[in-house]
Amino acid sequence: MKRTGPLFTLLAGLLLALFMLSLNATTGTKPAATYQAGPPADKASPSPAPTATKASPSPSPSASPSRAPAPNADYAGRTDDDSSAVSVSLRDGRAIAYFCDGRDKESWLRGDVGADGSMKLTGGGGSVLNGTLKGRSIRGTVDLGGGHYAFTADKAVKPSGLYRATATVRKATIDGGWIVLSTGEQVGILTRDGKPSPAPRIDPETGAVTIDGRRLTARPVTP
Amino acid sequence: MTVDPNAATQSFPPRPPAAGGPSAARYLVPAFVAAAVALALGVYGKVHDPAGTAFNLAGFSSTGAVKSWLATTAFGFALVQVVSALMVYGKLPGPSWSATLHRWSGRIAFLVAVPVAVHCLYAFGFQTYDSRVIWHSLLGCFVFGVFSAKMLLLRWDRLPGWLLPVVGGLLFTVLTLVWLTSALWFFRTFGVTT
Repeated sequence: MKRTGPLFTLLAGLLLALFMLSLNATTGTKPAATYQAGPPADKASPSPAPTATKASPSPSPSASPSRAPAPNADYAGRTDDDSSAVSVSLRDGRAIAYFCDGRDKESWLRGDVGADGSMKLTGGGGSVLNGTLKGRSIRGTVDLGGGHYAFTADKAVKPSGLYRATATVRKATIDGGWIVLSTGEQVGILTRDGKPSPAPRIDPETGAVTIDGRRLTARPVTP
Repeated sequence: MTVDPNAATQSFPPRPPAAGGPSAARYLVPAFVAAAVALALGVYGKVHDPAGTAFNLAGFSSTGAVKSWLATTAFGFALVQVVSALMVYGKLPGPSWSATLHRWSGRIAFLVAVPVAVHCLYAFGFQTYDSRVIWHSLLGCFVFGVFSAKMLLLRWDRLPGWLLPVVGGLLFTVLTLVWLTSALWFFRTFGVTT
């Protein structure tokens, strides 16, 4: 005898999974384009079209009308000279970026992201980041304190990304910024009353970090 | 659909397959499907670009909390599975409807676990950045493979008596490990929150 009950159970699970996937693809905060491109195997192809969105008329017919700006995502990488790290966080057409060499040079930069994925972000001390989002990475340059740094930042998946913690500890204003790279490596600077120094490691899972004996939580940064 | 579960357990050691064809397929097909399911989930998780986020349910602070509670629900039903299975096999005194209880608690556990897996694979993918995560990724894919195999095995009568208990026990063990490396970790790290 062949029972059919177990088959129905499997089928129900499969249908539920497909339903949830379609819900994710159509309502998620992420643009649907990358997801609907095809079966999972197709996703390996680093096709720039779906993620770069609307500048190029996307060939994918199922993509939601390309009104939305660059997809909400985080990017992290190193400068070409390997001296510093850069991380950019995009949300709804706005961007915040952090440039950090892990010792004493850092800058927070903000600005808008154009429909074509280009961005010009500005920060304190006249620092400027010019970059373009293409496919899964941002390529660009940072000008800071007389230096000129080219960088590539690839799409970052938690726990890699950009973190910040601010607090007042023993009357000193603490401002810490961290870039967690996809390798797990961290580049961060801790500023105490304006004086930069290398930052202690954070726990990338929870953002927990102990600074001057006080336990703080570094949070993911969004524009 | 009602079968005396004890009937199947009395042929130990298992009889050699009577005729080559269908008997070999009984074991090979589920085993093959299990491997294919586990592999497909893993490959999907590895290859597709993790979204980082997915939709949340109202009333919960984070998707992590939703998933942890769903997973804990599934684990609870998995405990019911173990107890009801012991009743079905007569190792524990149980009501006449223990087989129905076993079937439906299993279905619920499975259906509750599916959204968790979908979220994991969609938002995070197959990750390897520390040992907890590696084990969770591997076992999370594996558990759905084992479940598929068990469902397919259930379609046949006259399996060797030890087979279903072993596969079921494996399923429970793996699910427990998956739960320990995710929901328990979540509750210990972030507190028991909703």
